[in-house]
Amino acid sequence: MIKNLQIWLVAFTVAFLYFYGLDHFIMSMQGLPLNMLP
Amino acid sequence: MKENHYSSPLMWLTLLLIMVLGFLWSGTISTTDISGEWFSGAVASVENVSTDTAVTDEDAELKLVPAPRPTRADYPDIGVSSRSIVWVVAQMHLFFGALVLAVPLFVLVIELLGMYTGDSRYDDMAHEFMKISITAYSITALFGGTLALSLFLLYPDLMAYLMRVFGAQMMVYAILFFLESMVLYIYYYGWDALRYGNAKWVHLSLGVLLNGVGATLMVTANSWATFMMAPSGVNEVGAVIGNIWEVMKGPLWNPINLHRFIANIAFGGAVVGAYAAYKCLAARTAEARAHYDWMGYTSNFIAILAFLPLPFAGYWLMAEIYAYSQQMGITAMGGILAWLFIIQAVLIGTILLAGNYYLWSGMSRTEGSKRYQGFIKYIAVVLVICFLIWVTPHTLILTSGEIAALGGSNHPLLGALGIMPAKNIAVNLMLIFTFMSFQIYRRSDKVATVSWAKAGNALMVAIYAVAIVNIIFVGVYYGYFTNTVYKVGSSVIQVVSTLTVIICGVVLDAFLYRKAKTLPSHWGQVSNRAQYALFALPIAFTWLMALMGYVRSSVRTHWHVYTVMKDTSPDNFIPTIGYAGNMMTIVTVMFVLFVLFIFWIANLSGTKQIPPYAINKVPATERVGGAA
Repeated sequence: MIKNLQIWLVAFTVAFLYFYGLDHFIMSMQGLPLNMLP
Repeated sequence: MKENHYSSPLMWLTLLLIMVLGFLWSGTISTTDISGEWFSGAVASVENVSTDTAVTDEDAELKLVPAPRPTRADYPDIGVSSRSIVWVVAQMHLFFGALVLAVPLFVLVIELLGMYTGDSRYDDMAHEFMKISITAYSITALFGGTLALSLFLLYPDLMAYLMRVFGAQMMVYAILFFLESMVLYIYYYGWDALRYGNAKWVHLSLGVLLNGVGATLMVTANSWATFMMAPSGVNEVGAVIGNIWEVMKGPLWNPINLHRFIANIAFGGAVVGAYAAYKCLAARTAEARAHYDWMGYTSNFIAILAFLPLPFAGYWLMAEIYAYSQQMGITAMGGILAWLFIIQAVLIGTILLAGNYYLWSGMSRTEGSKRYQGFIKYIAVVLVICFLIWVTPHTLILTSGEIAALGGSNHPLLGALGIMPAKNIAVNLMLIFTFMSFQIYRRSDKVATVSWAKAGNALMVAIYAVAIVNIIFVGVYYGYFTNTVYKVGSSVIQVVSTLTVIICGVVLDAFLYRKAKTLPSHWGQVSNRAQYALFALPIAFTWLMALMGYVRSSVRTHWHVYTVMKDTSPDNFIPTIGYAGNMMTIVTVMFVLFVLFIFWIANLSGTKQIPPYAINKVPATERVGGAA
């Protein structure tokens, strides 16, 4: 049970960090720094 | 003995000759100064002229011939709308051109797959796909010739101008056709002659050469269409001031090249899928049914896989159109042609639903699919909701009473779903969930045996979940609560998130199902309804190409060549949506009829009549020609 929970926690953490980094990277590549901005 | 005949010195000499000619040909292109004599027809460059001391500025001015300005009387009238004739013939030529350029692309990949797996079924399937293409090839040329004649007859001034602009490039196009025909015939008719060992590599190389020539043909023809939309290499009155590359490489050339290249593969896959479905339904033995079921699955796999990145290429094309001319972009997506984009959404929704339905039906081929069948209803719900968001128009066509009741032409709740951020979210989610259908289909006959299966699965679920949340979040936040620059910039995040899911899904499953336990699956054990979904795909694709081809052409409004050469013919107006819709439907029905003819011919070549002396020995049920 605990092991299962750990697996899911790690999987979601990895996915979250990847997409968070991706958002930053893509916006800054276009000269648009992330800013939480009509 | 036969083998010796095929590897005769004569054959190798012929191949050597082809290679030498190929090298000479490529050398001719690369060593000739592009702005030199070879393309002189297209070059009246001011720079070139001014460097020649014998020529004065006055002569240079004389060399710059502006685009013609024909009057209405300059357009021949043959009693039928000129535009309608060219519309039908050009669209038919493009349908067949797309088909014959696309089929060799995936045939080459399937042939290579057969080579690596050592499974001759792949080779047989690739050969059969080419059989369809070979009949379509001559029909393409017939429509191409008819189109050229129609254009020169009905639009002589425009064609004279385009010939002057493109010059010798037109002859390059003609030469490419000879090469294409020769390589195509050697590739198709030499299939069994070059089937094993080193000869097979010669055959594969011919396939690469065929696709190289085909792709060059396509981008050459694309440059004429994109020049008419966004002319480059000419001045404001249409006089040629650049060399041929400056004329060809306009702002829309590469977006169109990419979009058409991908779309051709999807379209070609859909058409040969219909052939497989037709053969599958007509099959009399379980063996034939299994073969054509597998062929239909492969075709659908190609069509949908190519279709997944297609909206991104389309998005790039429209972004470039807006960047080139906001007026042109708004005419297309916010003006008189905007409703056609709503019809586009309906047709794309049809394609995705038919493709998904085929995959779900195909899960009946294996018992292992029971584990995944619960997913189907949720995927269907998401696809339908996203489809409805995609077809929601921003501005409704209303009577004055309805506008008064609504307080404007925008619906207070649904109006927000009418703009691009909502569409972007819907499209990306539809693509992700279509890929999910693919993934569960591919997993349905396997059981993972690797030790990290649970962790791998958890990671895949997490990637799906976070990507979906990410797409919705950036779509809503940047789309509705920030400025336009951020709104457009954030669409790149959505695209990359979708591509991440697809790439991670393919890579992760490749490792996850190494040495997996395979459950029994039975080709041919699929409902007939699934085969009808394969018929729906090419019809929706064809209709879609007719629809968006009209939009692409129509955004020029009353210009032959945008901003440079005006259209003063009697047909220089944008017709009603109903009229345009009827024209698109006519060409779609025509194409389907021609395709049925091609299928019939492909089938006929494998049908053998039973000789009269043997007729009584054959059971009555098998007397009507034994189809191969």
